[in-house]
Amino acid sequence: MTVQNEKDWKDIIHRCFRCGYCKFTHDYSDFNCPSYKKFRFETYSTGGRLWLTFGVINGDIEWSEGIANVLYACPTCGNCMENCRFEKFNFMLVDFIEVARAEANKNGFCPENQKFLLERTTNESYFNPYAEKNSDNEDLKRKYELPDEAEWVYFIGCTSNYRQKDLRDATLRFLKKAGIDFTLIDEHCCTSPLLRTGQLSPVKDFMNYNIQKIKESGAKKVITSCAGCYRTLKFDFVKHGVDHNLELYHTSELVLQLLKEDKLKFKSEFRKTVTYHDPCHLGRHSGIYEEPREVYKKIPGINLVEMKRNRENAWCCGAGGGVKIGYPEWSIEISKERLEEAKQTGATVVSSTCPFCRTNLSDANNAFDMGFEVLDLVEIIDQLDYEVIK
Amino acid sequence: MNQDNILNLLGNIVGNDFASNKEEDLFIYSQDPGASPPRPVDYVVMPKSVDEVQKIVKLANKEGIPIVPMGGGLTLSGLVIPVEGGIVLDMKRMDNIIEINELSKYALIESGVTTGQLLSYLNENYPNLQPPVPDAPSAATIAGNVLIHGSGYLSQKYGDHGSMINGLEVVLPNGDICKLGSCSVSKYWFTRGPIPDLIGLFISSFGTLGIVTKLSVKLFYKPKFRDVVFGLATEYKDIPNILSKVTESGLAEDVLIGMQDKPDWMKGYIFVIVYVTGESQDEIDANTKVLKKIYRKTNARYMKTPPRIREIYMEKPIFAATAADFRKGGGFEYVGAFIPLENIPEAYAGGVKISKNHGIVPTIGSRLIGQTHTVMVFFSYSFNRADPEDMENAREALHETNLLALELGGIPWKAELAGQKLILEKMDPNYKKLFKSIRDTLDPNHIMNPGNWEVK
Repeated sequence: MTVQNEKDWKDIIHRCFRCGYCKFTHDYSDFNCPSYKKFRFETYSTGGRLWLTFGVINGDIEWSEGIANVLYACPTCGNCMENCRFEKFNFMLVDFIEVARAEANKNGFCPENQKFLLERTTNESYFNPYAEKNSDNEDLKRKYELPDEAEWVYFIGCTSNYRQKDLRDATLRFLKKAGIDFTLIDEHCCTSPLLRTGQLSPVKDFMNYNIQKIKESGAKKVITSCAGCYRTLKFDFVKHGVDHNLELYHTSELVLQLLKEDKLKFKSEFRKTVTYHDPCHLGRHSGIYEEPREVYKKIPGINLVEMKRNRENAWCCGAGGGVKIGYPEWSIEISKERLEEAKQTGATVVSSTCPFCRTNLSDANNAFDMGFEVLDLVEIIDQLDYEVIK
Repeated sequence: MNQDNILNLLGNIVGNDFASNKEEDLFIYSQDPGASPPRPVDYVVMPKSVDEVQKIVKLANKEGIPIVPMGGGLTLSGLVIPVEGGIVLDMKRMDNIIEINELSKYALIESGVTTGQLLSYLNENYPNLQPPVPDAPSAATIAGNVLIHGSGYLSQKYGDHGSMINGLEVVLPNGDICKLGSCSVSKYWFTRGPIPDLIGLFISSFGTLGIVTKLSVKLFYKPKFRDVVFGLATEYKDIPNILSKVTESGLAEDVLIGMQDKPDWMKGYIFVIVYVTGESQDEIDANTKVLKKIYRKTNARYMKTPPRIREIYMEKPIFAATAADFRKGGGFEYVGAFIPLENIPEAYAGGVKISKNHGIVPTIGSRLIGQTHTVMVFFSYSFNRADPEDMENAREALHETNLLALELGGIPWKAELAGQKLILEKMDPNYKKLFKSIRDTLDPNHIMNPGNWEVK
């Protein structure tokens, strides 16, 4: 992720040859690109998007609503980056799409649905993309008897705080029980939805605000249960010049660390067959594949099974990149395909480590009556008896 | 009829989601990754069945709209960019693998099946069988490859990939659905004859005579072990003898040769790359030993293959598109010419000269087809897509190479429009007359990929 300024991408984007590797899984057994699989015109492959963007830069075609729609019909899952063969720039493909969206936006072509993300997030009553009244998290601090200052901040993230409260509460209970010295801040959106949809105007202010709040708490470490917040705090803040010097943890990393240090011991079993869905923001975008798996494998009684497309090849849940709000029906179709893949494993539980994935997988599970239990890793742990040696 | 009405009719046939005249869709189909300039497209349509193709062709015929079938769109020579506008028929939704006949060794597939898809399917379900795979990205379709006299894996041993077609289902320009090969007589798509062989009409005619919707291609036994044995030569004049001796040994499944002036360590060498196969490592070792001896006797020498290079060449298909980034510009095109073995030394010398005259790093390679019956020599020219002058420079180099190939008694393969024109200029007038008469008979309204193979 090095596309930091206009020159970086404008000097490189034409180097895409449109060879098509970006459409397939590594063994070519299926498409890996949800957008190409749905729309099938070459336009909707990553190569198509890059060529269109170069066409605009080159003056061969003008910005239009149609071009913007093509750019936004992509969950930015990053599967293309894994399979593009041009190593000198394949790691930038999602960045190319995001900067192209920002350009479309600058030229007045952000699709209507995605605009809501900006409107809601910048609304001073909300500061989140769900248009929920902003929670300063003081009630939660009181409930869990959290201090104002601590070593750690649990950055809840908007999806967990406003849509996946079970996941949030399971995380709070775990952190409390594990004896982690943590607090909460009056957090505002981490800006992931704005970054993914090219609506950059308030991003730096939001980042600075959140960092200021974290610093005010005295924390040196931040933990989040959200893959999107994790990717954003870890990589995008720095990319946008908000260098925070904080240690960033995803919950799966902390749980694994405690297990490895023999500080966490599970006392009961989870006797179910579970398949793990890699969140794009944690896997392909942040390189974390094995840590969650190691945790699952250490849970007594669990039968962890893999879907055919896993790790770098994992099929996206379809929620990211503004697709959930922009194309709600297609978004859960993508999740449906993931659940169908999960069905083939014999699993009864589909588990992930991202509240956004959890939301979309649950939505598809309900909409298509797929019969799974959809749980975050922390929610599974929350169902167990465990001992923490402090 | 106006464009919107035509679009509605196309949408009625394939579904509105798969017929478009939106500028952003047409833009992508108006150009390919090669050096051809963009040409306008009026509609792009993605059919799902032969019935839909038939309806589209009938509509195009009635309305006089040109129609251009497209597979992976990776010929690089602009063959699926319409010359006179009209419909691009992107076949990739017709992607069913219908039958694998393990005993008679063929695959019956729809024409949108990609090489990667078939390769993967066989690897998983019939690991003892292998299909013909071109040196193109896996997004290339099997149909697209075999219908342009493609070459690639297994070409040395079994001939060009066009010769591996057992049968075709074709929608003719009048909308008739025609079966060719044994499938016209039998339920088995197992052989091309013994009946009048009309399949050849649809090979390298670039969609001017019909649209292939289904095909049977030969599959081949896949030996358990496979490896590459590299040789190094320094003189172009030695190439014919090396290749003759290697193929006469009967040990080579495939043979490639190549030269490139960059990186520096490659300069001055001609690399001979022989694929050997066997049922055991001992067999591979024994074959390697024989090849080492052949190299010694033919003024070449054996080269121990560095693991990284071996890995590159053992991948199937090899990633040949690296050339697209040689000039950090996302583009390359090559003249792939079928050239008689005896003229290979001159072809290499001439190709190097053309490259140097155009300031392009010489990159020339060859694939043997049918032992040494044909050698497909590719003269590759990279360019920077963002620099129109660089693209024009590449086009000039391609043109000069077409002339060179023809001078040497060769024929440019999957030639772009300018190359087709040069071939037609040299072609026997009665060959042209026959082709024109067949084309006029099948396609009196001249709707099928007009502008290609135009005999005046």
